[in-house]
Amino acid sequence: MSSQEIGQMAHLMRRAGFSATRDELEEYVEKGYEAVVEELLHPGDPQNLPDDIIRRYHTEQSELRLSDGAAAYWMYRMITTKCPLEDKLALFWHGLFATAYSKLNQARALLNQIDMFRRHGMGNLSTLLVELSKDPAMIIWLDNNDNHKDAPNENFGRELLELFTLGIGNYTEQDVKECARAFTGWTLGNAEYMASRASRDSIWPYSRIAWYFQYRDYDHDDGEKTFLGETGKFGGEDIIEIIVRQEATARFICTRLFQFFAADEVDDAGEQVINSMIQSYWDSKHEIRSVLRTLFNSEYFKSDQARFARVKGPVELVVGAVRLAGSYTTPTQGIEQVARQAVYMGQGLLQPPSVEGWHEGIEWVDSGALVERVNFVAHEISNVNNPGVRRIIERLAGENGGVLSPEVLVDRCLDLLGPVLVSSSTRKSLVEYAARQGDLHLTGHETGDEAEQRVATMLGLATSTREFQLA
Amino acid sequence: MSTQAAAGTYTLDYVKTIGLTTNQRGRGFVNPYDVAFSKDGRIFVLNHCDSARRNLMRVGICSFDEEYLGEFGDGGGAADDQFNSPVAMAVDSKDRVYITDELHHRVTIFDSAGTFLSKWDAAGSGDGEFNGPAGITIDAQDNVYIVDQHNSRVQKFDTDGKYITQWGEAGSGPSQFNLPWGIGVDSSGQVYVADWRNDRIQKFTPDGKHLASFGQSGEGDGQFYRPSGVAVDSKGYIYVADWGNERVQVLNPGGGFEKLLKGQATLSKWAHDYLNVNLEEKETREISNLIPDLPPQYNTPHHISSQTEPYFWGPVSVRLDGDDRLYVTETNRHRIQIFQRG
Repeated sequence: MSSQEIGQMAHLMRRAGFSATRDELEEYVEKGYEAVVEELLHPGDPQNLPDDIIRRYHTEQSELRLSDGAAAYWMYRMITTKCPLEDKLALFWHGLFATAYSKLNQARALLNQIDMFRRHGMGNLSTLLVELSKDPAMIIWLDNNDNHKDAPNENFGRELLELFTLGIGNYTEQDVKECARAFTGWTLGNAEYMASRASRDSIWPYSRIAWYFQYRDYDHDDGEKTFLGETGKFGGEDIIEIIVRQEATARFICTRLFQFFAADEVDDAGEQVINSMIQSYWDSKHEIRSVLRTLFNSEYFKSDQARFARVKGPVELVVGAVRLAGSYTTPTQGIEQVARQAVYMGQGLLQPPSVEGWHEGIEWVDSGALVERVNFVAHEISNVNNPGVRRIIERLAGENGGVLSPEVLVDRCLDLLGPVLVSSSTRKSLVEYAARQGDLHLTGHETGDEAEQRVATMLGLATSTREFQLA
Repeated sequence: MSTQAAAGTYTLDYVKTIGLTTNQRGRGFVNPYDVAFSKDGRIFVLNHCDSARRNLMRVGICSFDEEYLGEFGDGGGAADDQFNSPVAMAVDSKDRVYITDELHHRVTIFDSAGTFLSKWDAAGSGDGEFNGPAGITIDAQDNVYIVDQHNSRVQKFDTDGKYITQWGEAGSGPSQFNLPWGIGVDSSGQVYVADWRNDRIQKFTPDGKHLASFGQSGEGDGQFYRPSGVAVDSKGYIYVADWGNERVQVLNPGGGFEKLLKGQATLSKWAHDYLNVNLEEKETREISNLIPDLPPQYNTPHHISSQTEPYFWGPVSVRLDGDDRLYVTETNRHRIQIFQRG
């Protein structure tokens, strides 16, 4: 298989997943690009680290009292999944429909929301939005438990239109009021007790009690409403059916998907891809899977131009590094630290800063975050005991009798970590560094010996490059 | 000794709940994993703790009437009276308390006042060495049986730590184990092991001869999903903490299904005390339905228990006191539900 094929597949897996090892990339290339896209779009058994194992060895991930345990649990899912797009897309929806622990004090409700994103994230947008509107975490997050027939609360209705679907300028204040009325009575079971516990961060007497949706007919405003020019006795489902028919919704969702999966900035060529995605949205009757298929199979996405056009988000970076290193595939003390690393880089899972989610792109990389990013990845990738690193060393040892010139050492490390395409000046610096110790001899190498440490150091340096920060 | 009981005579009644979540030392439990009993009626509660509260790892001591009597153990750490991942606990004939720690690969022994006495801490796979010691039980002759989970075996010691014998290997056949967890003995000295990832209970003679296996994977009567604890009462009835199914099952002395417990916790004395000074929660709680009908996506045992407070949630251990009272320790609810034979 050609380096072009490997490079293209690596690009797909960085975007539609969390990066892939060379062994995985070779398997994917054998299947063919479009077949892999279909596999990603039709996730089967994710073969995650099993729940029973996680729960036995991580009490905090069984009880889920706090967000740390929940974030670590999701980390395990992302690190070990065989269906990476399922969780990558859940991460996208988590950023778009941002819901945070800070107000909820209920980590399980957040993980249940993420699981809902896995179930419905690739399906019909209206189904996803109905489930979102019924999601207990969202209900508390945007106060729909306080949205009553006689005293509407517009918070959820407003954000549904402004931040989740149409975008500002595509609805009126009256639409917000009517939307809110339609969602009156959409609350959660034992809402008064649960809201009281949430506001007090109460774990007493017997820890958290998870939440579930409840519709209170007596508290629902069943009167006539006029919304986006249509009139009827609309309930929440009716409102969502109207929303998903709007051109503004199609453009909003497709643009956000494009920016998350294809490029931080939308240029003219990107606009054409978004238009194709919108057409798929209409053709498929609002199915996200079809929209993503159009994106991933577009010539734009597959072209060299699209590669390394996004800054890796902290979670992408952390999970990608761990998957490359092959670490944390069994219960490991310290998995919470892995989740926390993403926090230090600016992206706390289940802790988006506001309902607007994270500011992505170049904003991920300030000087402090960059140090955290480089240090974490280099630490994982330069540990010769990690299975993924051992596999790279074994590959190198099997090439040319295990003798590598400085140039070859640099090129092969960059290749096996991505491939990572670096500038000529970066490559020159790496080669100069490698040349200080001459050719590398891996013949007869043993775990952790000097020869292996040279590889580890070079891998660490390769991940410290500007280019490795990009997806 | 007969282990037969007349058919149809078995009853088991709920008695009470002990416990309360806490974030600090003193009264209350933090992810309890096991209980043990002194001859004078004190209840020792092993607080496993989640990773955020490692400083609270300790043994709490209380009475059946929920009087808090004290505690010992000094949180997470490497010192003799500290823990890393304490799993189970047993008391010998001299009221000495033995605690396994699966990450320290050791057994620590305290007197019943909580003073450190000794430890067995050889990590490895040789005779008397441990790789993840989990369940522990001590029979009437002071034989100490320890489940050595990652070595897929049971090891038998005397109370001085002298190795006696062992049995088991990795696998799913008779006398083979897959991440075994809890262990118990009956009044005649037969040994029962919760073979966690094989979803069964195995029964052995005191020297490790396989006698029987009970159960298979599933959610039906007599089936298990990741059983974590086992205990046998004076009449030979077998109690199984069916951890993954969030329930307790009772088997008759022959191993047949007898009774299913889902849990029916009520407010403990400590819980009443909490709610009586937190009236907003008390009042909204009183108008709540804590046994709700749930949407279909939540209809797994773990989800149901996470939302149904009276049900068992994380029932990790079953133990019997000297009066044959059954104690079900729920790590996720930080409490113990107690039942009594009728």
